[in-house]
Amino acid sequence: MYYYIFDIKKCKKRSQVESVKSYLGALGISGEFTYPTAACSVEELVDLALAREYSTIVGIGDDEIANIIAGKLAGRKEAMGFIPLEITPALAKLFGVESWKEACEALRFRKISQIRLGKTANNKAFLTYAYLGIKSPIEITLELKGYIVQAKVKNFAICNFHPGIQKMEEDYLDIMFTSVSNEGGSILNKFSSILGNKQKENGPDFSLLRGRSLRIFTKTPLPLICGNTVIAKTPQFFESSDEYLRIITAKKIDLK
Amino acid sequence: MENNVDTIIGVNVLIKGNLNNKNSVEINGSVEGEVRSDDHIDVGQTAKISGPVTAKTIVISGQVKGIVEATERLEINPTGVIIGDINAKSLIIQQGATFIGKSIMPSDNVKIPSSNKEDKKEVTTEAAAIKVEKEEKKELDEKDKVDDKEIIEDKFGFFSKK
Repeated sequence: MYYYIFDIKKCKKRSQVESVKSYLGALGISGEFTYPTAACSVEELVDLALAREYSTIVGIGDDEIANIIAGKLAGRKEAMGFIPLEITPALAKLFGVESWKEACEALRFRKISQIRLGKTANNKAFLTYAYLGIKSPIEITLELKGYIVQAKVKNFAICNFHPGIQKMEEDYLDIMFTSVSNEGGSILNKFSSILGNKQKENGPDFSLLRGRSLRIFTKTPLPLICGNTVIAKTPQFFESSDEYLRIITAKKIDLK
Repeated sequence: MENNVDTIIGVNVLIKGNLNNKNSVEINGSVEGEVRSDDHIDVGQTAKISGPVTAKTIVISGQVKGIVEATERLEINPTGVIIGDINAKSLIIQQGATFIGKSIMPSDNVKIPSSNKEDKKEVTTEAAAIKVEKEEKKELDEKDKVDDKEIIEDKFGFFSKK
């Protein structure tokens, strides 16, 4: 019933693999354990699991494996589970778990929630958010339904699910960025940033837009990163998926 | 950031086109086009909008060049500038605010005379004014003619007193 794909490269210690395995066994939800290799990718392992008619496919690792499995299972009846080895705040809030042990317990209770995914033109999916790899402020142009946006930004993210953003429409992506002046920052601002003075959270330079789909353009191609993985490069098209993904979350989570 | 603001446009951001939202909108940047919300629009001090602004409630602290229409309440703060017509059920203009345009405040209790009558009145007044002007012109012309005659008569010196 349970098909586990263990991203062994993300394990800090070899003993962690055995710890997770034995804990799952103790909970009575042991299943088939597989490991992606150079010869057999995560995508291929998911295809194999679907061919063998497993009803639950569980990724063990980080954002990378979660996004790959999510992309493969969107719109299907099979449920996705996730055991984080290094949990990020966004994934922690989405699945309602703080540690791998909590994630194992959530799997046992098997509460199914539904969520849409963020998708790129090259069919890469993301559960949480993708951010632009920016070293210094750059000019971007966004094309959303009915209008275009021009700004010089110092950070930029496209969110399908973000712990700090209240989602207004389930089929909309949230776009957030912090803009800077085209004329460059004032001397005072430069000094305050050098001295480490943090700018007021969500100040007047913070922007939040919502859209079913969007295009992003930059003068030079920039990477869009999810977790630690580059999922796309600019210019790029993003949209919220039409299909839902069935995920196993903690009891306290109320998605849909 | 857990609040009900649907869209926030930060400073140094330029939007070209029509921004249409169900929930509230906060604008601190520039917009060239229409801004519409079914709820609330907050135009911040640094905001510059060239186009119509429509919402249930609107607070303006920045600049708007265009028609501002609030189905419930419009407030213009001291730093607010509106160059354009206003249509609001309830209007608050604070001291220091700038407003150049016409204001219409539709109300259920107050009966507003039909615009046709007003037009007619204005037309009648204008017509009367034109009539008076014409009569005055006529009188002046006649006077001028008499004066000219006198000048001519004086020119030849037939009736000049010696």
